[in-house]
Amino acid sequence: MTTTRRNLFQFLGGGAVGALITPAPWRLITDTAIWSENWPGIPKPARGEIRTRFTHCSLCTAGCAMRARCVGQQPVSLAGVKTHPVSRGALCPWGIAAHHLPYHPRRLRQNPWQEAAAAVSAALSGGGRMAVLDLRPGRTASWSYRRALAALPKGVYLAPQQPGFAVDLASARTVLSFGAPLLDRWGTPGNVFAARRNFRLIQAEPVETRTAALADEWLAIRPGSESALAAWLAGELPLLEAAARTGIEEGRIAALGKALSENGPALILDRDLTSSAMALNKRFKGTLVARREAPVPESWKKAAPVSDIAAVPDRSLNVLVIDESVPGEYIPWPAIEPKLAGNAVVVAFAWTREGYGRHARYTLPAALFPEALDDIPGAIDSVAATFRLSTPLVAANGPVADPVAFVTKLAGLDAGNALRERADAIHKAGRGSLITYADSKSTAVKDLKAEDFWKGLNEGGCWMEDAVRTPLPYGRGSDKSSPIAEPDASMPLEIVVAESPVGPLCSPLLSKLYRESNLRQPVSRIVLSPFDAQAAHIKDGGAAVLETGRGRFAVLAAVDPGVPPGVVQVAIPILAGRGKVVAA
Amino acid sequence: MKRYGMSIDLDRCNGCGACMVACAVENNIPATPENSNDRKGITWIRVYKIDNKEQFPDRRSAFVPVLCQQCGHETPCVHVCPQQAVDVDPATGIVGQMPERCLGCRYCMAACPYHARYFNWWDPKWPAGMEKALNPDVAPRMRGVVEKCNFCHGRWHAAKERAAIAGKREIDPADYVPACVEACPTGALRFGDLNDPAVEVARDAKTPESFRLLEKLGTEPKIYYRSEREWVREIANAPRPGKENVRG
Repeated sequence: MTTTRRNLFQFLGGGAVGALITPAPWRLITDTAIWSENWPGIPKPARGEIRTRFTHCSLCTAGCAMRARCVGQQPVSLAGVKTHPVSRGALCPWGIAAHHLPYHPRRLRQNPWQEAAAAVSAALSGGGRMAVLDLRPGRTASWSYRRALAALPKGVYLAPQQPGFAVDLASARTVLSFGAPLLDRWGTPGNVFAARRNFRLIQAEPVETRTAALADEWLAIRPGSESALAAWLAGELPLLEAAARTGIEEGRIAALGKALSENGPALILDRDLTSSAMALNKRFKGTLVARREAPVPESWKKAAPVSDIAAVPDRSLNVLVIDESVPGEYIPWPAIEPKLAGNAVVVAFAWTREGYGRHARYTLPAALFPEALDDIPGAIDSVAATFRLSTPLVAANGPVADPVAFVTKLAGLDAGNALRERADAIHKAGRGSLITYADSKSTAVKDLKAEDFWKGLNEGGCWMEDAVRTPLPYGRGSDKSSPIAEPDASMPLEIVVAESPVGPLCSPLLSKLYRESNLRQPVSRIVLSPFDAQAAHIKDGGAAVLETGRGRFAVLAAVDPGVPPGVVQVAIPILAGRGKVVAA
Repeated sequence: MKRYGMSIDLDRCNGCGACMVACAVENNIPATPENSNDRKGITWIRVYKIDNKEQFPDRRSAFVPVLCQQCGHETPCVHVCPQQAVDVDPATGIVGQMPERCLGCRYCMAACPYHARYFNWWDPKWPAGMEKALNPDVAPRMRGVVEKCNFCHGRWHAAKERAAIAGKREIDPADYVPACVEACPTGALRFGDLNDPAVEVARDAKTPESFRLLEKLGTEPKIYYRSEREWVREIANAPRPGKENVRG
C-alpha cells in the first residue's frame, strides 16, 4: 500500500478532530486560564501582618465606631463595633467602603495654598470682613474657627442651623414621622434599629419609601398636605377638613390622634425637624431632650457667635472660607452669593471641585476620611454628650491643606493642639466613661490619667457622658403649626425625596447599588406616576427636564404606578419642593 | 458534617445595600465601567425590590436579597460544568467555584434557576492606589470567568486556621460569619450550621413563615427566607424575585 498525499491529509485531519475529544485542548485552555489569572493587569493583594485598629466614621454625625482590618498599616476592610453603646455594630454602605475614599479618582491634586493665602491677606488688608462657613458645626475645629474669628476685627462664623435638642428614640412608644427617613440613614442607624422594636412607627408620606415600607402604618398622605395633618393634630383644623385635604380617611386620622395621646410617650419628627414638629412635640410631650455637648476649655468661650447666612448683610463679605472637608448640610449657593462683595475672595476646602469649588476662586484639597484627624459632634439621636475621634488609618494620598490651620494662622492663633486641649477639659470635668473597643471595657474618666485618656481616644475609644435625660423645656418657638401652603399652579408637582442620594463622596463600589443593580435610584433619574407621565408625553425610560426653583435639570424618567399622581420622586434632597416635568 | 445556611428576614430588610457593598469589599469585586448596567454588574448578593403589583395607594414593597442559594441536592451548576470548576464541599455543604478551572462557557449561568451567577466581562480594575486596599485572602478573578457567592470562603479558611492554632478541630461559630451577615445593620441576615438545632438559623428555617425560593425544583437550597406578609411569600414560586429582575 502506498501512502498518498490524500492519506496524509486524512490522517492529519482525523488526528485534529480526534484530539478534540482528548483532554489535551481542554487542559491547554485551563492552563491558559491559570496563566491569564496571573498576568500583570490583575492586581495582587498586599500581604503582611494582619492588625486590627479602631476609629470612628466621620462621613456623617452618627460617627459609628469602626473596626479596621489592616495589612500592615493599610486598612483592607471596615466593620462595625458591636460593643459601642450607640452605633451597636451597624454601618451603612457608605461607611463600609469608606477606606477607598483616599483613592477616589476625582480628588483634587493641586494645592494653591500660597496663592490663596496671599489673596485673602490682600483682601483683608483694607479692613475687609471675613467669614467662615462651616458645614459641620459642633466640632473642635468649629471652636477653633470661632476663636480665630473672634480675634479678627470683623470675623463672622456661619453654619447651618442646628437643633437645640436631641431625640430620645429609646423612650418613645409611638413615633409619627412626616417623611423623616427614620430607617434609611437617619440618626445613628444602629441606635434606630435597636430602638425600633420598642415603638410603633407611623409614617405619613406621599410615596412608599424604605421607611414607609417597614413602618407599622403608612399614611399615604396627599402630596404637600402634611401641614394640614399637623394642623389637625395641633387642634387648628377640623377633622373633616383635614381628611379632605390629606386624602386620609377620618377614622385613620382620629386613630392617629388617639395613638399619640394614649400610647405615649410619643415623638413627632419631620425631615428637617421644623418648628411645626416641635410644636406638636410640645403638645404631645414628645421625647425630645436637651442637647448636650462635650466640655470645652473655659478660655475657648470667648468665641464668635454662630450666625445664620440670612442675617449677613448683602455685599458685605470680602473673604469667605468654606470648610467642605467633611460632609454636612449643604447651603445653596444662591443663598450665599448675594452676601459677597464684588471682588470677594472665596476659598473652598474640599476633596473635589464638584461642590462649592465650582464657585470658589481657590479650591484647596482637604484630607478625607480616614486620613484626617477630627472629632465628630453628637448625632441627633445621641442623648448623652460624646467625644470621639476619627483617628487616621492611612497617610494622605496626595497634597492636602488643613482649613483650620489656614484660618487660625490669619488670626495668629495656634490651634494645632485643640483636640488635646479639649480632651484635657473633658478629663478635668471628670464625668462619664471612656469606652475602649479592643478590650470592650468602659472605664470611668475619674479613674484615668489625662495621658491615658488621650491615648485611649487616639486608639479609637469613645468618651460618653453618663446618660442624663434633661427634658426639653419647650420654652422657645410658637405652639402653632406651620401655615397650610396652597399649591403653586406653575409648579404642579410635589418633589418628594425618597432616597438617600448616592452622592459623589463614596467609594466607586457604591455603583453596585444603583448602576449594577436597581436597588437605589440614581441622582439622574426621576420617577413619575403613569398619569403625570402621560400628561407630559414622557415614556418610561425617556429623557425629561425637571424644572424647579433651583433650576432645570436633564433627567431620565421612570414611570411607576406606585407613585401617586402629582408627585415626582427624586434622589437629591436639595430639590425638595415643587416643580414641573416636561419632555426633553 | 456541617450544613451551612442562611436565614433572611424580609420583614426586617430595609434594602440599604450594606450587604452588597460589604460583599464587594470582602471578595475583591471591582466596580464595573461607567457604561455598564445591571445586566453586566457583578453582585454576588443582589437586593431586589419587589411589590404587590397594586397601584398607589395600595402598593406595598419589600426587599429580597438573593445570593447563591447553595443548592444541596442535584446542584444544577455542578452538573452542567464541563470543567469541574464547581463543586460541593461535603464538609460544609458550600457550593464552591474555582475560577482557575472555569473556561467561561456560562452553562452554569443558564442552569442556575436563581440567576445568582455572574460573568466577568472586564479585567478587574480599581482606581489607582485602591488596589492597596484589597482583601489579601481573596484573589481577584480574571476576565472571562464566572463567579458567585461562596459564603466568604476566605473567612472559613481563616477560621479553620485560628481553630488549628488554638488546637481545636472545630471552628468557633462566632469566628465564621460571611461579610454580608456581619454588615447587615438590621439583623435581617443570619448564618450558621443548619444541622445544629441550637443555632438561630436552624430554628428560623423551621418557622411557619419560612420558605425557600423555587422549592418545587427539589434543589434543596440552604437559604431560608421569612416573612409574615403572604404576598411576599409568593415569591417562593416566582421564576424571578422582582419585576425589574431582567438581568438576562
